[in-house]
Amino acid sequence: MATFATVDLVKYLCTCEKKFPICRLYLCKHCLKLRCIDCVQHEVDTPYCPNCLEIMPAQEAKLKKNRCSNCFDCPVCGHTLMTRASGHISPNPEDPNKSVTKKTYYLACGFCRWNTRDINMLDQTVATGNWPMLENPHVKRINNLLENYKLMAQVEKADRERKKYVKRRSHLYLQDKFNLSPSVMKRKGLSSFSSLSLKEGDKTIEDLEPSVPVESFDPLPNDYYTQPAALEKTTKLVHRLSVPEFQPEDVSKLHPINKHLIMKKSLRCRECEHNLSKSDFNPCSIKFKIQLTALHWVPEVRIMTPSTFTYNKETLVTLTMSNPSVFNTTVTLSQIENETDVDYCTAKVELPKKELVLASRDEPSMHVYEDSSQAHEFKDDPKLIVFRKGNKIGFVVKVTPVVPQGDVKICFLLKHEFRNTTVAALQSESKEPEIKWLEHKVYLCLGTI
Amino acid sequence: MPHFEGLLGDEPRIIILDIGSAYTKCGLAGDTGPRCIIPSETKNPRNQQTSKIWDYSSTDELYEHLKELLYTLISRYLLVTPKDRRVVVIESLLCPTDFRDTLARVLFKHFEVASILFAPSHLLSLMTLGTKTGLVLDVGYQESFVVPVYEGIPILKGWRTIPLASKAIHSRIKSQLLEHGTVSTPEQKHQPVASMPDILTDELLEDIKVCCCFVTEYSRGQQIQEVTMRGGHANKLPPPPPDTDYQIDGGSVLNISGRIREHTCEVLFEQDNDETSIATLLMDAIVACPIDTRKDLASNILVTGGTSMMPGFYHRLQLELSHLLKKPCYAQQLGIKRFLFHKAPAKENYTAWLGGALLGALETLPSKSLSRDVYLQKGKLPDWCCIDSDFLLEDKNSKS
Repeated sequence: MATFATVDLVKYLCTCEKKFPICRLYLCKHCLKLRCIDCVQHEVDTPYCPNCLEIMPAQEAKLKKNRCSNCFDCPVCGHTLMTRASGHISPNPEDPNKSVTKKTYYLACGFCRWNTRDINMLDQTVATGNWPMLENPHVKRINNLLENYKLMAQVEKADRERKKYVKRRSHLYLQDKFNLSPSVMKRKGLSSFSSLSLKEGDKTIEDLEPSVPVESFDPLPNDYYTQPAALEKTTKLVHRLSVPEFQPEDVSKLHPINKHLIMKKSLRCRECEHNLSKSDFNPCSIKFKIQLTALHWVPEVRIMTPSTFTYNKETLVTLTMSNPSVFNTTVTLSQIENETDVDYCTAKVELPKKELVLASRDEPSMHVYEDSSQAHEFKDDPKLIVFRKGNKIGFVVKVTPVVPQGDVKICFLLKHEFRNTTVAALQSESKEPEIKWLEHKVYLCLGTI
Repeated sequence: MPHFEGLLGDEPRIIILDIGSAYTKCGLAGDTGPRCIIPSETKNPRNQQTSKIWDYSSTDELYEHLKELLYTLISRYLLVTPKDRRVVVIESLLCPTDFRDTLARVLFKHFEVASILFAPSHLLSLMTLGTKTGLVLDVGYQESFVVPVYEGIPILKGWRTIPLASKAIHSRIKSQLLEHGTVSTPEQKHQPVASMPDILTDELLEDIKVCCCFVTEYSRGQQIQEVTMRGGHANKLPPPPPDTDYQIDGGSVLNISGRIREHTCEVLFEQDNDETSIATLLMDAIVACPIDTRKDLASNILVTGGTSMMPGFYHRLQLELSHLLKKPCYAQQLGIKRFLFHKAPAKENYTAWLGGALLGALETLPSKSLSRDVYLQKGKLPDWCCIDSDFLLEDKNSKS
């Protein structure tokens, strides 16, 4: 389980020179290089609501500001709100002697007991939809401003187009050529906004009412000086900031929050732009359409048992290596030349010189192999290969720490065969998959001295 | 269906980003408010440690943190693919160069955005009013910062800043609580807070400020300052507001005295030895400006920044200003009779963001921003404070 528990002991070097545990790496089958989370491109695949698991098309999500229209979060604790039904007995309009039960619905939080009746929101007659939405009180003004600025931007753009034509004939040309532009223009970073201000004579100016200045403000109500702060009636900052446009200060102004969507993400190789990971379209499915995690393609090295080390003394360490591929794979280990970085290499290591052959991964028969028969089959050297079970071998390396204290770290180059099944399948069906040799640098932290 | 996103609808919308020293505001252009306001910090998923974005020791560390923060914003809140999108970054004029450079590096190299426009927050705030002249005061977390803007050009001679803002209020609450505060735990009542200073986390201080404190009236404020600053007798203090019991986790109750509630925000207005406060900041900024601009500036004051949302802030600021006007040092120089304030069509803490959202929705944006190609070619950013960087934008203009 070392892959999942202490993943940081064995790390592989990604193509971008960062070290990651193998379970966090991807192998691009087209570039045949390792990729990590930092050197892939993240893309939005499908936005969906985490509560009702309904896919929302990107366009609709855009319009609804990435929020689900049917699911709500509690404004106090963030828990999902439940729709509650309650019966109402009201007289039947046709026959006054009989009464009918009318169902109404309200939203309640099962965790903190907040409900929409607390804020005097009217119960609804239908279970979903129809809940009143808050609207930013400044929408009209902001839209006015935006319209106005858009008109100005058009004028500015047209201006620039025109300048492009007349440039050569005007004196501006000389200014440009001899760099005689006024010194104000030098401050490009600042002056580039000045053109957006209102100019006299622009016809757009009439449309926009100027902002009304305020001369004096009301003093605080007397309650502030005579009453203790009403903590139970005041919202916390988190509550306010979760609805940036409204930021209610009073608990009674809290409003159910439409649930924020989450997304399925796909990863893409930056170099060849092929997908490295793409999940199934359906939010309920946890399957992947494409999943090129390195775990499925690169032999995985693990440390078998912890060992004790002494300074300058050789210790035998058993490592295991397992083959994820469905073919027998040959692996060679070699020293990394010129590894001078002492941070990652604090011991001398003697590696098996012979090629190691890993048996193929055969899911159904994985647990029925007997050790002896297999060892025979592959003609293993018992001094080197401690055991062999299915697609996994245990092999011995000799480690001599060269520092008196601290962590014992070794590194080596792992070279393995790789049969590119996907590309081969594309080319022709009869041909055997092409064999490529891939090299990875592996860094191990074996323990302390 | 990400492949059709560009074909079906309009252009991909522009990301508007404002990384403040306390909170980060992020959203898309054309919206009326940001999609999210989250603390400017990142959490390490391994050891659950949070690290503030602005507390960085090296640019490499900053790079990693910014990458994390932007990843959260983009994939958790905006749900967009950042590649080939345009970005508007709202920055303070005092933003350190290495922060800008690192942010640009993250956006261009890691997220591969198409272009970035770095826009000064004060100018953007004015855009929300539709005017071109104004005195913009930003009371944020680290500092209060005022910039006079005339006809769309900032009067750089007139900018003033003072380290009085949220952070100062927080440290005042903390020191007051450590000095006088008491905590009642289930075991023992009325313990001094100083015996367990660990409970005073930044979040707690912030919440106390938001829920309990307010900016008091001018006359009461003067009485308080008479006692606390100039050593007047304590019986001259106005009757303090009632204490508040503040529940902390674990059944403890922190007693927030009325004095703390009322006195802490005085830190913004009390004039220390240099006789400076937020109000004098505005006055000094006006004095530094050319005489013919002063009247316009004084009648177009815009206050932004989350700290100005404290209850009573505007009332107090306005009275402070009109009293300062009577002081001989200002009365003779200024020749202004009154101050007029504007209210932006947004909450104060995202006013600058809204300006960015307006700017980002315009079609002139591409010609004003720095494109990825030019950045990769030249490897540096244009900045208002260095003249030689003009070529970056001019090159682009001639191409477009």
